[in-house]
Amino acid sequence: MIAAFSFRDRNSVMNRLDPRARWIFSLAYTLAMMLSWDWRIITPLFILGVVWYSMADLSFKETRRSWMMVSMMLFMMVLVNTILTGGGAGRIVPVTQNHIWAHDFQILGRSIHFGLTANRLWFAICQLMRILGISLVFLVIPFSMDTRAYGVTFSRLGLPDKGAYTIELAMRFLPTLMLNMNTTLDAQKARGYEIEKVKGGIIKRMARVAPFLVPVTMNAISSSEDVADAMDLRGFGTQKRSWLYQLNWKPWDTFIVALGLLAFAAVLLLVTLRGMGAFVTPAWFLRALGF
Amino acid sequence: MSQELYDKSLEALRGDTPPEKRNIWKFGTREVVYSALGAALFAALSWVFNILLPMVGTGNVSFRVPIVVPMFFGIAFGPIVGFITGFLGNILGDLLSGYGFWFWWDLGNGIIGLVPGLLSAFTTDMMAGRSILIGELGVILGSFFGVGVASLSEMWVSGADWATVVGANFVPAFLADITSGLVLLPLLMLAYGAVVKSRGRN
Repeated sequence: MIAAFSFRDRNSVMNRLDPRARWIFSLAYTLAMMLSWDWRIITPLFILGVVWYSMADLSFKETRRSWMMVSMMLFMMVLVNTILTGGGAGRIVPVTQNHIWAHDFQILGRSIHFGLTANRLWFAICQLMRILGISLVFLVIPFSMDTRAYGVTFSRLGLPDKGAYTIELAMRFLPTLMLNMNTTLDAQKARGYEIEKVKGGIIKRMARVAPFLVPVTMNAISSSEDVADAMDLRGFGTQKRSWLYQLNWKPWDTFIVALGLLAFAAVLLLVTLRGMGAFVTPAWFLRALGF
Repeated sequence: MSQELYDKSLEALRGDTPPEKRNIWKFGTREVVYSALGAALFAALSWVFNILLPMVGTGNVSFRVPIVVPMFFGIAFGPIVGFITGFLGNILGDLLSGYGFWFWWDLGNGIIGLVPGLLSAFTTDMMAGRSILIGELGVILGSFFGVGVASLSEMWVSGADWATVVGANFVPAFLADITSGLVLLPLLMLAYGAVVKSRGRN
């Protein structure tokens, strides 16, 4: 089982961008998406997210697992929370009588009314674009950003050396930990431990995970002692840190940062000055559904 | 040799020397390494238990086994390590899975590691019953505040109403987290205490 970041240099447009510019754009994009429920703001941002994703030249085969996780999240938030139960839209969508489908259910003697309105359906579409847009922008990062660049990127963005090096070290620990987990699981399986076949009550199920979790954690902590000693011997934290991986800022990186910040500023202005933060169901959508 | 020095030497030999007062806010080289390790471990375990070993518990509540990692790293190494383990670990886990960047859930997971870390000031020996009880208290309080912050954020991030926030977000996540934490944290604390004793240093 490998779950390390699957970076490889595809020589795509995304690979050639400075990581600092990419992170600033991604965060500005996320903030812009979060500011409004208006489809006139969400739709162009979603299209921008699709264009951003296409710049990474990723194939479906290599991102399949990630898309599976995103689909599960979308299923819960859009289908269950918004369309089926309506709770996910409770504070945003006004109560209307534009029912596309309505039915009364009898459950344990109680009458439950379920109705899907056109407004809630449109909200689900907006919710889908919102979450999908943010996923598109961040999904490209582990596949198109060199793992050696994380530390220097956040250091150059202003994070203190200890914080930036924590991130760098975490990226370096990931593949080693996955390998150790594999080894531990195989060793325990050789002793008759089957983590997939957990049976019993809640507490028993939890306790059955311990033969895997405890040795993995303790081995990791023990081996990290050597890393800490090595860092101390090399004078970590005594002076400003230099980085082996070099970043090169180019003119189009400035353009990318400007684009991200401009998008955020534009959305902020539209929300505050034109009141475009609230959810709106377009008239043409209601007419198309016969309302 | 003075009488005072003689008495202190005897105390040390008998093991009566009081433990050094622990600075839980220290963030030196070791804390940097533990934070990075905790974050990577949290992210990797989240991947393993989400993708390869999904565990659906009784009553359709799935259990977040990896959540015990920030709790443990908090109680063992302090609030800063606990917070970074939860915060950064959740960010890395989300990046691995393609979920995106959801600041409030990252913050929530950070708080789940921070709160036990704050209580670590009252622990000395990881294997002592008192320390384990403090750890369990940290699990409940950390999960309450951490999951609470993240769930409440859904009101303005997703537009969820109060019933959805409590029923669909807070209660399942809180119950899942405290179940994992209450069962697994003592095991990790006991194992770590044994490792520390066998190595002869903290």
